[in-house]
Amino acid sequence: MIGKMMNSGSSKIAKIMAGALATVFAVTGTVGLLARNTFAADEEVAATGETVVLRVCNWEEYIDLGEWEEDEVIDLDNGDIFGENPIYEDFAEWYFEKTGVKVVIEYSCFGTNEELYNMLTIGDVYDLVCPSDYMIMKLMSEGKLVAFSEGFFDTENEENYYVRGASPFIQQAFEENEINGEAWKNYAACYMWGVTGMLYNPDEVPREDAMSWRIISNSDYYRQVTVKDNVRDTMFAAMGALKSDLLMSEDFINSENYSMRLRDEMNDVSEETLMQLQEYIQEVRKNAYSFESDSGKADMITGKVLANLQWSGDAVYAMDQAEEDDYYLEFAIPDECTNLWFDGWVMLKNGIGNDAAKQKAAEAFVNYMSMPESAVRNMYYIGYTSAITGGEYDDTVFQYIDWTYSADEDEDPENIVEYNVGYYFTGEEDSEDYIIYATEDQTRRQLYAQYPPKDAIDRSAIMWYFDTEANARVNQMWINVRCFNANSIPVWLWIVIGAAFAAAVFIMIRTRINNRVK
Amino acid sequence: MKKTFARKYLGIPYAVYLVLFVIAPLVVLFYYAFTNSTGHFTLANLAGFFTDSNTIGTLIYSLCLAMVVTVACLVIAYPIAYVLARSKFKSKAVIVMLFVMPMWINFTLRLTALKEILNLIEGNLAYYPFLNSVIGMTYDFLPFMILPLYNTIVKLDGSLIEAAQDLGAGRRQTFFKITVPLSMPGVISGVSMVFLPAMTNYVVNDMLYNSTYIMGSLIGSYFSAYDWHNGSMIALILLAIIGVFTLLSGESEEDGRRGGALL
Repeated sequence: MIGKMMNSGSSKIAKIMAGALATVFAVTGTVGLLARNTFAADEEVAATGETVVLRVCNWEEYIDLGEWEEDEVIDLDNGDIFGENPIYEDFAEWYFEKTGVKVVIEYSCFGTNEELYNMLTIGDVYDLVCPSDYMIMKLMSEGKLVAFSEGFFDTENEENYYVRGASPFIQQAFEENEINGEAWKNYAACYMWGVTGMLYNPDEVPREDAMSWRIISNSDYYRQVTVKDNVRDTMFAAMGALKSDLLMSEDFINSENYSMRLRDEMNDVSEETLMQLQEYIQEVRKNAYSFESDSGKADMITGKVLANLQWSGDAVYAMDQAEEDDYYLEFAIPDECTNLWFDGWVMLKNGIGNDAAKQKAAEAFVNYMSMPESAVRNMYYIGYTSAITGGEYDDTVFQYIDWTYSADEDEDPENIVEYNVGYYFTGEEDSEDYIIYATEDQTRRQLYAQYPPKDAIDRSAIMWYFDTEANARVNQMWINVRCFNANSIPVWLWIVIGAAFAAAVFIMIRTRINNRVK
Repeated sequence: MKKTFARKYLGIPYAVYLVLFVIAPLVVLFYYAFTNSTGHFTLANLAGFFTDSNTIGTLIYSLCLAMVVTVACLVIAYPIAYVLARSKFKSKAVIVMLFVMPMWINFTLRLTALKEILNLIEGNLAYYPFLNSVIGMTYDFLPFMILPLYNTIVKLDGSLIEAAQDLGAGRRQTFFKITVPLSMPGVISGVSMVFLPAMTNYVVNDMLYNSTYIMGSLIGSYFSAYDWHNGSMIALILLAIIGVFTLLSGESEEDGRRGGALL
């Protein structure tokens, strides 16, 4: 809505400002352009003549930036994997070798989806960004994205690593879900995915408590559970807790269109539900330790809190970190429902425009990130789960999971269990080809978080984006929860405040009169 | 003639800065505050501020927090500044620097350290959210109070104090009748440097787990819900409140000086 307003040009202020800015930067701008042109000219001599600048904006710490230690080599049967340079620089090199086109990646980061959206609204220009599912839906519905070209979907082409290598389970989700009648997959390529759940300390919290979203208002853990400081994640957990009885009922689970009903229930933002949610989250606020945006992991590791609403990838990170201190945390995907989320690459209209060379480079970038080796590098570096399996063409990713999670050979066989990740590689439930032999505790730890079992995926729901009206309603609910409400001030306090104010005014006036008299 | 001409141009960089980073953003702020999502002029945002019990509640909460923090800073800083300024230490400057030094360390780093200390003392930070905010902000803003106070008191004319004592005033009388009134400009500038940030600095709140919104976080929440209009209006009203406060304190500062001159 704001974008429309800015674009319509109805605002004179914007024009005047733009004019002023243009004048001020005209001089420096020209100098900059000249410099860039000279630079490009130099390159022309070396290359075949084209230079593409690709402006990529991604989450912070969400890509392999290289500089691994010597001993961090991942030695798989398919060869060693090692991150020496930032992966996007490797892409530029690879692209140059393949096509002779020089790509310059301008890499930058954003902190939240909303921040990215606001950055785009005020006119920042990017070619390729990596927002979450709901932001992709919002951008799609607003017509801000460029569709992938036909060539991108050609499975015959060996360099189309994304369509050839993305998990069938994810490809299916991106095909089934539509915005304005168009499938997500036309505009978005999944990068990382995961679920939400509770990270908890198994010494203090029994697993069955953590397996219900009701833990966030459970008074046994008074001031020892944290939830997220963003309305969507906390709301989802609260919704699961609020509707727990319904979601766990046999009738509901066994109903014919269970998945659809589950999605509708979890995306219910009607006035009435929001009222109930508000009440419930107010209760959570009285019970919880904090609403955290980033400190939850550290607070779990240092033992300040016992349970923490967490994304699966960050949970893996926290469990890894804790293990370094011989401290073990576990992850639970609640029985009611879990939020299945995706982060994906999308191309923006205001950046790519009609520039075919640029779009080609952007699609190549997505494909490069979807190469099994790149997927492993990124996964290893950031701890999240890549959407790439390598498909039937390459088993590097499976080798990596095996390398990471298989139990040591000297482990007691009694302690080893079969963990089936087949659904993720084949889309079918019980493929026997994709079994990890891991220690029993891994079924509650990193392996479980990074590759949730099929039954957890069956009870997952995607959280839809809110339209403008619903978004305002939800935000109001959140503000109602978080603000100190003036109506809750008792009358006597109003009187005290009034008296204090009157006294202050009186003193001020008296001083002034006194001064005059003097 | 030529000289004054050249001197005038020295102001240009600042004028450019002023236009680009002070006036232009203000214009944008005004524009969003008085328009709705379709771009039409509206006063609904303004009316909304005063009719919404959440914004009023948050304003009161922020004012209370800022007031407590300011008083705490003043109570801690004044004696320190006084003792330091009146003492005959040779290394006064070094001690002042010791108080200012924390300002050189990154502020989130300092807060992280404070968080650990408070956690050790309190056991569970979540039990005392308001107190934690007060402690965090006081810790953070104290140097802003000490410096102006110290600077005012150290420049205070010692002969006035001697004169008061000569004329038979006791120590306490001298302090309250001479030192305090004459240090008022320092108090006022210290108060305004602490009070205003304390109303909006929500990073301290977030880091020390006070989940109640203050004005800064409320503005932020509107912006992350893509509602720039209400967010701008709250920012603008806050600006107005701060403006009135500064004007008032400016006047009483003048009064203070006049009072001093009349002595």
